[in-house]
This record gives sequence, structure tokens and C-alpha cells, in this order.
Amino acid sequence: MKTIIITLTALLLGASSPVWAQSEQYKQAMKDALGTMKGYSEKTPPADMLATANQFERIAGVEQKEWLPRYYAGLMYVYLGFMGKDATEKDKYLDQADKYLKEALALAPKNDELAVLKAYIAQSRMVVDPMNRWQTYGATFQEAVAEAKALNADNPRPYVLEGQSLYYTPEQYGGGAKVACPLLQKAAEKFTTFKPASELHPNWGKNEISPMLAKCQ
Amino acid sequence: MKFLLLIGTTLLMTMPAFGQTTLKGRVTDAKGRALPGANVFIKGTYDGANTDSTGSFRFRTSRNDTATLVVSFIGYESFTKKLALSANQPDVAVRLQEAASELNTVVITAGAFEASDERKMTMLKPMDIVTTAGAQADITATMNLLPGAQRVGEQEGMFVRGGSNLESKVVIDGMIVQNPYFSSLPDVQSRGRFQPFMFKGTSFSTGGYSAQYGQALSSVLLLNTNDKNTNNGLSIGLNLISANVGIDHETKNSTISGSLYYGNLKPLFALIRQNIDWVRDPEFAGSSLTYRLRPTKNGLLKVYGMYSASRLAMNFRDPSVETGPAGPGKTAIDQTNRNAFLTSTYTDSWDEGRWLLNTGLSYSRNHDRMTFNGLDFGRFDSRTQGRLVLTRLLARNNSLLFGAEVHHVTLKNGVMGTTYQLSDTYAATFVESELYLSRKLAGRIGVRGEYSSLLKAFNLAPRLSFAYKTGTFSQISLAAGQFYQTPDYRYLYLNQGLAYERADHLILNYQLIRNQRTFRIETFYKNYAALVREFTGQPFDTNPYRFPWGRTDNTGNGYARGFDLFWRDQKTVKGLDYWVTYSYVDTRRLFSQYSMATTPAFVSNHNASLVTKRYFNKLRTNMGLTYTFTSGRPYYNPNRQNERPDNYFSDRTPAVHNLSYSASYITAVKGNFLVLYATVDNILNTRNVFTYRYTPDNKTRYAVGPQSYRSFFIGGVMMLSKKAKVDLNQL
Repeated sequence: MKTIIITLTALLLGASSPVWAQSEQYKQAMKDALGTMKGYSEKTPPADMLATANQFERIAGVEQKEWLPRYYAGLMYVYLGFMGKDATEKDKYLDQADKYLKEALALAPKNDELAVLKAYIAQSRMVVDPMNRWQTYGATFQEAVAEAKALNADNPRPYVLEGQSLYYTPEQYGGGAKVACPLLQKAAEKFTTFKPASELHPNWGKNEISPMLAKCQ
Repeated sequence: MKFLLLIGTTLLMTMPAFGQTTLKGRVTDAKGRALPGANVFIKGTYDGANTDSTGSFRFRTSRNDTATLVVSFIGYESFTKKLALSANQPDVAVRLQEAASELNTVVITAGAFEASDERKMTMLKPMDIVTTAGAQADITATMNLLPGAQRVGEQEGMFVRGGSNLESKVVIDGMIVQNPYFSSLPDVQSRGRFQPFMFKGTSFSTGGYSAQYGQALSSVLLLNTNDKNTNNGLSIGLNLISANVGIDHETKNSTISGSLYYGNLKPLFALIRQNIDWVRDPEFAGSSLTYRLRPTKNGLLKVYGMYSASRLAMNFRDPSVETGPAGPGKTAIDQTNRNAFLTSTYTDSWDEGRWLLNTGLSYSRNHDRMTFNGLDFGRFDSRTQGRLVLTRLLARNNSLLFGAEVHHVTLKNGVMGTTYQLSDTYAATFVESELYLSRKLAGRIGVRGEYSSLLKAFNLAPRLSFAYKTGTFSQISLAAGQFYQTPDYRYLYLNQGLAYERADHLILNYQLIRNQRTFRIETFYKNYAALVREFTGQPFDTNPYRFPWGRTDNTGNGYARGFDLFWRDQKTVKGLDYWVTYSYVDTRRLFSQYSMATTPAFVSNHNASLVTKRYFNKLRTNMGLTYTFTSGRPYYNPNRQNERPDNYFSDRTPAVHNLSYSASYITAVKGNFLVLYATVDNILNTRNVFTYRYTPDNKTRYAVGPQSYRSFFIGGVMMLSKKAKVDLNQL
């Protein structure tokens, strides 16, 4: 009797989970993590960011075939890369971002969002020490932005990053609002038609550029 | 059956109530300090939590048999543990070990000064080479501002810790560069042939270097070329002496770039008074081509070729000349140089980077058509070399490297119409291992064996270095080794029975890198053995283009000892970056034509420099100020009769001071970058003297100094491409 029950339980649990339960679980876990992410800004304590990154890491650990949890873990570490207290800490976070990007690229090699993430990491690396790093990471940033545009012309995010980067680059280095605004406006235009592939797919950027866009008028 | 199913369903529904296990515990570092924010979870499940501010965690899992607990935290090694879950699960205590990183792992550094973007814990960045005032964007000139180097104003090359410029080698991507400087002229310091922006990494070793490199008793300068284009598009440069144009093109797997330049020193000489009697203002032209191909995922082929030609004529002050085309007391020098250098390297890696391959093939040829008062003093040399290095990376950063290189060198020298020539086939093989005994203690053990067909002799040179981490930001290192070098080829024209010259190095170093401040002290002892001595039977000859006619043997010897200091601070004053260096050397050698052991004429006991840099945001200008001090050098005074140890080379020149300034201004013109730069050398117009010589009657002493005193230089670079990034070339 006992054996039967255990077998039955195991069967029910085991057979059912891969088919629907786990994928539901995946969606739910992703939704939860994305939900906490929604309220994040540059004022969010790094500890919370790290907690969310951990959440995505746990999802990635279960879902060996999904690039999205890795993408989001990487993205969290990019944010942390901007927030770190010194160059060493920033690089430590960005090493982690690179790790998740690499894992994600192994699952989805030609992916515009991952090219965007690559550009974002390069930008964050550059900001750590612009004088010495623009040459290396500036080039990587440009390449990755171009790659993202080539892979999906409708994706607004390469324009978000490019516009944002130029917006904060001093005029004498070829930046400033004047050159950034057309790109930011292009990004805004693309946001009006852009539809993410699912509710779990990346859909950020609109809020990030709106304060800059306001100054473009 | 129905009943069964019912029980089953009931069980399923009730499972969460009693099937869940609560896992709790605490995560700390090796010293027991709490690690908040660590990720704790059961492998393969969604069950997990983050540790709180006390390092504690608590979560429930539906697993009720065995599970693998994983704890991960950034900067630490992941922890995994198999747990047998039970209802009363005891607390789990997890201690995480710090992961190896640049900051907590010792690095083998004794003797080397590195500029790199790839490694973070270096004392210099590649940008420092171009933004240092007083270095004129010349790699060697920047290295001469570092500790261990001695400045010798009237000759090119690197004089390191009592060594002559013949004792140092320039190595590009592992290949020895036969002619790293523009053709030398008596009492004129030539620039390096290579632009600093070609290189992503520079390592200046003042001793105790790896078994991978040989044929240098004192120093090697290791340069690693870029893996990709620094800009894409067209660039145009114009300055007081030259105009150049460069173009870069990129495709998916390859890049190609080319450059052309033409220069003439006439405009500069019109503006700045020259201490040299130029008969024909130097004129030069050249071109270079770089091709890079990525044939496989990790493979990279680089081909670099350059060709240049130059022409000049000058009258060199030489009081021993009675009559000649330039008149009495002068030697007319006419020089036409043609130089070609072609090098290709291929690097690849396999097995997740556990195997690394570095190979190279290069050819260089240099021809100086040169006459001194109409007599042929032409020079020709060529060097063909091949190199292969295989590195195996082992666990925990340990590595084993082995390789070999073969060179074939031919040389010709005209001396007053007679031509001397020789050729040498030189082969070397080396093995080296880096061993990390712990994160705090590492060693490098290597051995290099060499054979020269000309000397018909082998040598075996052991190299050893150790490094120990004394604190989070500091470490001490020790390096020792033997270094062999084939004697100056000019000796070998007349005597092929000579043997290798040898130097033994012992170096002890302490460094502290913390919060954008660097302190480094290094002390050294160098023993010289089997140095070539010349027996001329004449008093010391100070003529810089003399040819060694005398009998030679390997009975020379000597020592050099001293210490140097380096302090860099990018923190204390916001925006200001400065460094201070001081080098002390005490050396005596019996070699060359010196008739007794003495401090050689190129040695200055004290060298100090202060380098400052600051970026002015509002002016968009980067400015730098550099001060250098070089203590007096010994010179030969023929009036000191009965040469005795106490008065042989006992006279000293006055100290050399130099204050120089540089500024670069960056702007954009219609989306194209424009960099303008200006430098002033020797602002105080100090009448520096490098050495003194005497007229043949020993009555009159005359000074040898720089080509010009206070001088300035201006120029600009324009990048004609939207994608172009500012190339701060020749700042």
C-alpha cells in the first residue's frame, strides 16, 4: 500500500512537472523577479539589486535552456556595475555580467537583446575609467550597438543606449544633447510600435530616456 | 481503486504541509564575518533565498529526501553540499572561500614595469606613454623616466642600472627588433621607429626577466601590438616636421590599416636654433601596413610591414681632423638610410584556453649608406627569425611554457673603405613554469639554453623569481637569474674567438598599490662577468664612431648595485596625477677600452623625475609638466697623468636638468575629432652638458650637449570618420 502511494505520488509529481507545472513555475518565478525589478531606479540599494540578480541566477540554474534569466541576471549586474563603490567592485560586478552574457549567448547566439546587453556592459566598463578605457570599450560598444540594429531594426534599445551615451558625452568629444536627441527621438518612435515577444521579454528603456527627451524639445 | 486514488489525491494535497523542510543557516567568509546578499538554493529547484544582513538565510523546500545545497556569492568560490533532509533540519553553517582575483592573488613582478589596459593592477596605462610631458610620445623616452633607467642625452636606447644601451633589447610580440631606433648619428639621440598607439601593452623590465627572452644583459622592453584597429576611417596628421595620413578598414574577420608619412626638419630648424651643423636637413618618408585576420574563433594572425627611408648630412665636431671636405676640426657625415621590417605572428588557443600557441616569423633589413669625410662607413644588417611558444595552463593558475627561437643575422660594416662582414645563426630553447603554491606565494622557474654558430658555444641560463603577498595591497618579490649576450658584433669582425658576456641579477622588490596610489621600492645587485675588454695600447678614445681595432678578450668584469623608488598618486589632489621616481646606482666595470675598473662614462649615479598631468575640463585640455634631474657623469680627462684608480675618469660633468611641458586640446569639428598638441622642452633653457671631450693637444675641453636647448613642437591630428575615436597620437 505504502509503495503504491509513493509510486503514485512520484508519478504524478514527476510526470506532470516538466509538461506544465514547471513552465508555469518558470513564468511565475520570472514574473515575480521582473515585478521587483520594475520599481528599481538608480536610488535602489545595491543589496536589493543583488537579491534580484540572485533570483534570476536561481531561475537560470533550473532552466538550462532559457536565455532570459541569464539576460536579466546580466542586466542587474550592469546596473550594479554603475553603482559599485570603486573601480575594483564595479569590475567585479561586470565580470559577473559578462559571465551571464556568455551563458546566454551560448543558448541564443544571434540575439539583438543580447547584443544590447553586450553594449551596455561595454558602456558600464568604460564609465569606470573613461580616460584609459574608451579606446577598448568604446569600440566594443559601437560594434555591439551596430550588431543589435542589424539583428533587429525595430528594437529601440540600441538607440536608447547610443543616445544616452552621446547625451552624457561632453560636446568636445562629439557628444551632447544636439547629437543625442535625434537618436533618442528615434528610440521613442520605435517604442510606439515595439512589441516584446512575450511578457517576459525585455521591454525597458522608455522610462529611462524620457527625462532626456523632455530636454530635447 | 477509487479509494486508492482518493488517498493519493489527499496525500498530494496535503503534501506541502508536512513534505516541506525548512532550511536555515548562516553564510560567512573564511574569517567568520557575515556575508549578506549571498545566494542560497537547492540545486535544480526554485527553492532558495538570499542571506540577510547577518548572513542568515531561511527557506522552505519541497524536497524531503536528499538535496544539493548551493551557496554562491560574488567574489567567492561557490559552495555545494549534499544534504539529507529531515523534518528537524539542523542549521547549516557555510564558510565561503574568496575566489582568486587580481586583487587577492600575488603577481610575479620583480624587475618589471608594466603599462596595460587588460590587467588592472599595473602602475601605468598605455595612455601614460603619450600623455607624459618631456617624452614626445616616444616609448623609450617615457621608459627613461621610470626608475632603473639612466638618461644619456647624446645616444639612443635604454641604459639600465649601470648597463650600456647595447645591453637592452626591444621585443615586439616576442620578436627581437633589430633596429628599434632611427639610424644613429654621433652625439644625436634618435627616436624610436614605432608609434606608441600600435601597442596595447608595454612591459619595461629592468632585470630578472623571464627565460622567454635572451640576448640582453640588462633590460628588455616588451611591446605587444593591438589586436584591433584603434580607429576606423581616415586620419590626417600635420606637425612642425611631418605630415601623415592613415586609413583603417574593417571587415567581419579582418582589419587592414595603412599609413604614409613624409617629414622634413627644415621648418623646425628655421624656428629653433640648432647646436648641430646640419648640411642637409633630415628628410624622411615611410609607410606601414597592418593586416589582422581571425581565421578561427580564437586564432589571430597579425602581419605588420614597414618601410622607411631617410637622408641627411651634417658636420660633426672632430678636432682631430686637420683637413677634409668640411674643413679642419670637422667630419662631414652623409647618411642615407633604408629600413624594412616585416613581422607576422599567429596566436591561437584550444581546449577552453588550456593550450595557448604563439608563433612568429620576421625579417628585417637595414642599410645605412654613410660616408665620413668621403670614406665609406656604410652599415648593413639583416635578421630573420622564427619563434614558437606553447603554453599549457594548469589548475589554479599554474602554467607550463616551452618554446624555441632561431635567428639568422648578417652584418656588414664599412670602416674607412674596408668592409667587414659576418653572419651568425643563433638558436634558443626555453622552458618555464609558473607555480602558485597558494594565493599568497608564487614562483616562476625557468631555464634558457642558447647556441650561436659564430661563437660555437652553448650557454644555459637559469631564471627564478618568487613573489609573496604581504597584505591585501602589498607584496614582496625576489628575482634572480643569469643572462647571456653575444658580444657587440663589431668586436666579432676581428675576433671570433670571443665568448658570451654574462650578467647575474639579484632583485628584491616591495610594492603597495592602494586606492590610486602606488609605492614601489626595488633594490638590486648585478654581477658582470666575461665582458669584452679591448687592449688598444692608446689613451682612452672618446670619438663616438671609433672602431675597436685593438686585441680583445673576455677578461672584463664588474658590478652594479643600487635601488630605486617610485611613487604615484592619482588621488590626493583631485584631477591631478603625478609620479616621482628616484634611482641610485653604484657601478664599476672593467670592460671595453677602459684600462681599469671604473664607473663608465654613460653612468649617472642619481636620476630623479617628477611627472605631473592634469585634465582641465573647461579648457578641454590635458596638460603635463615633467622635471628630470640627472647627476653628473664621469668623463675622460687626458690631462690626468699616470692614470691611477683615484683619478681615472674622476672628473664629472655638471648635473642635467630639464623642465618640459605638454598640452593637448581635443575638440570635434563637424563630427570629426581634432586633437591639437604643443610641447615645450627645456623651458628654462638650461645649457645642459652631456659629456666633455678634449682636443688632440689635450689643451681645450669642449662640451657635447643636446641638439638644441629650449625647443617647442606643435601639431594636430584629424580623424575623418563618424566612427572614429580620438587618436591622441603624438600628443
